[in-house]
Amino acid sequence: MGRNNAHWFALPAVALLGLFLLYPFLDVLRFSTWDWSGLSEPRVIGLENYRNILRDPDFYSSLRITLIFGAMTLVPFVILSILLALALDGQPYERPIKALLFLPGLVTLGGATVAWYTLFSPEYGALASVVPVPRWDQSPFWALVLVMLFTIWRHIGYGVLVVSARLKAIPKTLLEAAAVDGATAAQAFRYITLPLLRPAITFLVVIGTVLTLQGYTAVFLLTRGGPFGGTEVLGYYLYKTGFEVGRLGYAAALTVIILLLTLAFALAQARLLREEK
Amino acid sequence: MRWLGHLLVWTVALLVALPFIWMAYAAFIPPEAVFSGNIFGQLGFSLANFEVLGRGGFWEGFWGRLLFSVLLTGGVTLLQLTTGFLAAYAIKEGAKILPFFLVLLAIPVELLLVPLYGLLVGLRILDTLWALVLPFAASPFIVYLLFQGMRTVPEELLEAARLDGAGHRVLLTRILLPLLRPQLIAAGVLAFAAHWNLVLYPRIVAGSKELQTVQTWITDLQRQNPADWGPLSAAALAATLPLVIIYLLYERRIVETFEEGLKG
Repeated sequence: MGRNNAHWFALPAVALLGLFLLYPFLDVLRFSTWDWSGLSEPRVIGLENYRNILRDPDFYSSLRITLIFGAMTLVPFVILSILLALALDGQPYERPIKALLFLPGLVTLGGATVAWYTLFSPEYGALASVVPVPRWDQSPFWALVLVMLFTIWRHIGYGVLVVSARLKAIPKTLLEAAAVDGATAAQAFRYITLPLLRPAITFLVVIGTVLTLQGYTAVFLLTRGGPFGGTEVLGYYLYKTGFEVGRLGYAAALTVIILLLTLAFALAQARLLREEK
Repeated sequence: MRWLGHLLVWTVALLVALPFIWMAYAAFIPPEAVFSGNIFGQLGFSLANFEVLGRGGFWEGFWGRLLFSVLLTGGVTLLQLTTGFLAAYAIKEGAKILPFFLVLLAIPVELLLVPLYGLLVGLRILDTLWALVLPFAASPFIVYLLFQGMRTVPEELLEAARLDGAGHRVLLTRILLPLLRPQLIAAGVLAFAAHWNLVLYPRIVAGSKELQTVQTWITDLQRQNPADWGPLSAAALAATLPLVIIYLLYERRIVETFEEGLKG
């Protein structure tokens, strides 16, 4: 029997993904030229949405918040991933700890936020009865810190895994040779381990940027963009304009802009980190 | 230097575990202890918080929503594994469509709310069960994972079976299915977790009461009664425990799958 008819087995996946992933991805361009609330009859308005976004102070404010949040989250995330991977390497408890660190990324998001909320809420939280908790329900800065801690909590296991996989690929003989030549542990790290970890770090920075530019579920669950719009990241602004205010055309144009921003950032970072050699 | 590493690891581990420990503790706090504000003073154990969850009609209440979500997400997971398994087989058999799936991997699903909403309106399946199922019936990530697994199956094995007259059905069910069991389990857990954790999407495309998922139910409760930790934590624990148990059972397999994925 011919082997070619096996090709048909890919049809369900290809058809479903084509319709529900690829088509919407391209279709967003068409929606972005509409004035549309989802219920009303769409009206084609060309590039009007884009022109309005570029004049929209709320857009710039959420772009600024996103960039601050990204820098605030990414730097400690990457450093912590490296430190933990180094500290864990070769320890007897490496596996169980890695398993634990990985757990927050998989468990029920809604449940996880409930635990965080009841623990850290300055008004109703359990910690507040023991130690003073910063008023993140009133201070945009502390609200961002909370979302940052939650984001790191959820993804640290993956970060450690990425660095650790790379770490294990470094030949031990290289470090032994350095020790024989009289290099201190700090020197060996600076001149051997760190440069060899570069691909893993690049990967984490790029993935992390993409996630911070696009993610907003944690914001939705923990702070709802507040207080005073202080945690309104781009993704949340997109959700709000589209589905709370009901301007779907405008939200589609925002989607396109966020995608372009993501692409530009990811390319620039990959390039910078590669050239720095 | 070494003790500093130990200290770091155990501090972080404790902080990561803290919300889980708290969740398990708070779920069994007697309601009186919460009202008196004395949560750590008197240790108590009570199932009252779980009883509260059972109030109201079954199907509209927490346990009904939990059952609905388990069935929904379980069904979607099976669909994803089936479509992924078949597609991976087609690629293994020489269909040159792997790049198609790899390109799709780069599309950020979280950002597609608006066009997906438009599509569902166009197909007239907004606010139906289909809106929660069809967009997730196939996943490029699962196709990729399963194909990675199938690559390790020696071609000679399939060739020998074919010479013995085995058709696609026999190859798929008798040979590849048992051989790919570990990959299917890992992919299944990840697919389950991904669908289980959808928060905004179900809220938008399927808002009616009988389609509410357990995530939406919990977040709504949190909005309404933010100070009522007992029942909140009980609900969070009950909604989290199934995933934690599945994860602990297959932890090694899942972490290894991620590690293999990083090498590729």
